[in-house]
Amino acid sequence: MRDGLISRLRSFAARVLGLFASRKRDSDFDQEVQSHLELLADRFVAQGMSREAAAAAARRQFGNTTLLQEERRELRTLASVEDLGRDLRHALRSLGRSRAFAAVAIAMLALGIGATTAIFSIVDGVLLRPLPFANANRLVTLGDQVNGGDWGPVSCPEVVIYPRDTRSFQSLGGYGSTSFGLSGIGQAAQINAARMTPSVFSALGVAPLMGRVFTAQEDQQKEQVAVLSYATWKSRFNSDPHILGRKILLDRKPYVIIGVMPRNFEFPLYPGRLNRSELWVPMSLTPVERSDYGDFYLYMVGRLKSGITPAQAESDANRVAEQIMRNYPPVDANTRIRPVVYPLQQITVLQARPLLRMLFLAVFVVLLIACANLAGLLLVRAIRRQREMAVRLALGAPALRLLRQMILESLVLSLSGGLLGIGLAALALDVGKNLLPETLPLINEIALNWTVAGFALLLALLTGLFCGLAPGFAALRTNVNATMKEGGRSGSASGSHARLRSTFVVAEIAIALILLCASGLLLRSFSNMSAVDLGFRPEHVTTAAYALPHHPYSTLAYVDYFNNKLLQQLRQLPGVESVGLTNALPTTGGAFPQLFVIEGYVDPRGPDRAIAWPSLVIGDYFKAMSIPLIRGRYFTESDDVSASRIPMFRNNHLPVIVNREFAQHYWPHEDPIGRRMRLGALKSRTPWMTVVGEVADAKLNSLDADAAEQFYLPLAQPDSGYIVVRSALPPEQMEHALRAVVRSIDPELPLTHVETMDQVVSQSEAPPRFNTIMISSFALAAMLLAVLGIYSIVAFSVASRVHEMAIRMAFGSPRSDIMRLVLISGLKLAAIGCVLGLAGAAGASSILRSFLFHVSPFDPAVMITGAVAVFALALAASALPAYRAASVDPVLALRAE
Amino acid sequence: MKAPKQSDVLQGTLDLMILKTLHALGPQHGFGIARRIEQVSRDVLHLNEGTVYTSLLRLSQQGCIAAKWGTSDNGRKAKYYSITARGERRLAVETENWKRFSGVVGRVLRLEAEE
Repeated sequence: MRDGLISRLRSFAARVLGLFASRKRDSDFDQEVQSHLELLADRFVAQGMSREAAAAAARRQFGNTTLLQEERRELRTLASVEDLGRDLRHALRSLGRSRAFAAVAIAMLALGIGATTAIFSIVDGVLLRPLPFANANRLVTLGDQVNGGDWGPVSCPEVVIYPRDTRSFQSLGGYGSTSFGLSGIGQAAQINAARMTPSVFSALGVAPLMGRVFTAQEDQQKEQVAVLSYATWKSRFNSDPHILGRKILLDRKPYVIIGVMPRNFEFPLYPGRLNRSELWVPMSLTPVERSDYGDFYLYMVGRLKSGITPAQAESDANRVAEQIMRNYPPVDANTRIRPVVYPLQQITVLQARPLLRMLFLAVFVVLLIACANLAGLLLVRAIRRQREMAVRLALGAPALRLLRQMILESLVLSLSGGLLGIGLAALALDVGKNLLPETLPLINEIALNWTVAGFALLLALLTGLFCGLAPGFAALRTNVNATMKEGGRSGSASGSHARLRSTFVVAEIAIALILLCASGLLLRSFSNMSAVDLGFRPEHVTTAAYALPHHPYSTLAYVDYFNNKLLQQLRQLPGVESVGLTNALPTTGGAFPQLFVIEGYVDPRGPDRAIAWPSLVIGDYFKAMSIPLIRGRYFTESDDVSASRIPMFRNNHLPVIVNREFAQHYWPHEDPIGRRMRLGALKSRTPWMTVVGEVADAKLNSLDADAAEQFYLPLAQPDSGYIVVRSALPPEQMEHALRAVVRSIDPELPLTHVETMDQVVSQSEAPPRFNTIMISSFALAAMLLAVLGIYSIVAFSVASRVHEMAIRMAFGSPRSDIMRLVLISGLKLAAIGCVLGLAGAAGASSILRSFLFHVSPFDPAVMITGAVAVFALALAASALPAYRAASVDPVLALRAE
Repeated sequence: MKAPKQSDVLQGTLDLMILKTLHALGPQHGFGIARRIEQVSRDVLHLNEGTVYTSLLRLSQQGCIAAKWGTSDNGRKAKYYSITARGERRLAVETENWKRFSGVVGRVLRLEAEE
């Protein structure tokens, strides 16, 4: 058995080698045959024959040498490879003869494959990067559902308790985002950073590139040490090899650099966001944080012990949560937490999933159209070559051979189309990168994705194979007799072929219409979003973020000095209309929800369920943002509570301004002015505050979210915030002036995110804009492909009906009738395609619904426009072939037969 | 397993006869092998002597025989073939198979004759 296998392998190897070394072997063999023949002849001569007769007899006895050569060649080489080469040459020649056909087919595939590869590469670069951690499938996140709300962060004490009391995790740590003013090197800058417990590093299983990560002891003892990201080490420290042990200032406090992480380490992971952490510091919880069960702002990541499922870990965590809730201080007694464990990979793509699903579908559909086009074209071609096939079959060509040639032909087409497409995609990405919105995150990560390109190529190959098979079989079924008897007349195609062709056209039109409707809906939705009432006027507003470091702003008096000076100096600038400070800019979603109590209001949802988004504002914030006043009054300068006076305000009445949404929820049909509310839970002993004004709903979170319940307090923030300036100055000039003022107060304080409010708002529009651009690109590609497909199929079938047209004309049919004939047959298909497409679009609405803003997925305007557009394009696509058919010269056409 | 074509059977038999010849007589050139087969088959088997070379090529591809150039008895240059260890093994196996096969065929034929 084994011997047999080896023998077979050896002969295969010999045959492969034989492909190359055939010439010398042939001459060897000739010599061998020659000598055999001579020996035979000698023998016959010895038996008494003449030389000539002996030579002839010897040749007779030896047999046919040519046949022998042939046999040997077959033995020695892989006959199939040689045949394949011959068939390939044949395929190339035959494609070369119909260049127009080949060009259209290749262009179509290139367009389809190029578009999908390019678009998908963008999506992959922005959304789909895999987690760069070892055994990432065992990494999970642990978050709380607080009072039955959505999955979210945990509180500080939980970060200590879960790792200590759960048993399912090999390693479990907490982390939270923060930011620092970095100084002590080069230009002062505000950087993103993360506080982490050391377990995060061990859970992720990533070792530092240089130095070490911090220890649990350093975390507990609040050592000021920092681990740098590779990018930061490279850009801010010039890849200094002696960086370890160097001191930097974070918020003007000295930190020692103890390590540098590897290049691809990124944590926390925000899919599709720019703000990567530049460095990591120990969590070092403060005593206040350690006992604060009511604030949820830290996240947890852990590595499961092997054999433990996320569900088991979750029930383990729930057991610990019960115990945490039993030990709650009275203030938090009404809070219910429910820990939830998700695989980390899942949570990072969770948000992107609906978008991904839609894009996958779109990719699939566009490729489908491209493939259908190719199949349709090949089929048309096969039908036109029926006679050639019949002749070849009649002359004895093996059917398999013909099939192989058809498949090879289509493979040549699909492969060259695929390669060209990938080239186009690379080009498009290169050019397109500059055209994509700058706010699109990770734009530098966008590169031609070879997996996608490979997949597209594979798909092209499969398409070629499949599309080659169908017409190949169609050709093989050719009835040789019948076809030949037609006497070479290229008559009109038979009914079944025409039906198949029509099916392709109809399907393409339908699919293109579905995509067009989807992109139309998204475009409407996007324009609705741009037209949404923001609740404030972003024009002529400049904003900037600042963060006051602990040193020298450790005393609140310094903070007040800074705030007052800032407001005062900015107000005095020429052209400035109003200035305010706030802790959260509208549309950025930067605020945290706050529990509160309304005087005399019994909440039907139960105690401690009233939540709203507070903003701390001082100065003329409302005027600067132009948030319209509905009732009561804005805050005045005398309302403003400076940072150092906040602790003294415990027993005084603080004024509060609520938004319309808030007022309508808690005091429906009533005047909210003069009503009282206080912060915290029912049992907390916070002072009452009096409502003095009601303002319009300024969009706090994303533009497509509904208005949130908000209230404003006239409090100065003690550490960081945003400056908001409304002025008549051009933005650049305003930015310059703003920086100059801040520098004159504190030369070392960096300002970040100096932007116009318009820019801030447009960032909030970025994700929907991205969706819209993506789906519109797909729709465009689909439309182009469909038009090309309709055109080519109609054109080719018209070309095969030239004979029929000529006869019609010869019998006196006017040219306009011919034109009408072709147009009507095209339009019939378009009409059926449109009806099916509209039905499909309605069916696809459930996928789209979550992306739409104030647009019904059945929006009639979009649907009708889409259908009309597709119909018009189908008309245009069949117009040219119709015109050509009508201009046929019957005499020429008939004589050509 | 598809049924072997008639030529396959003949090919296999010829291969076997060549191996047997080389096994019995030692290194031989193609002409010598053809003579030996002619002699042994006593004109029962009529074959074009050229087919011997096809078999020789096949056998050398399988590593059952080795070939090198030498000089024949009457001073002509000729390619001499000799059986290899692999060839010997193959010969043993095939001979066994052949015996079994021909035994079965013989028994079947005898059965028919007795009917």
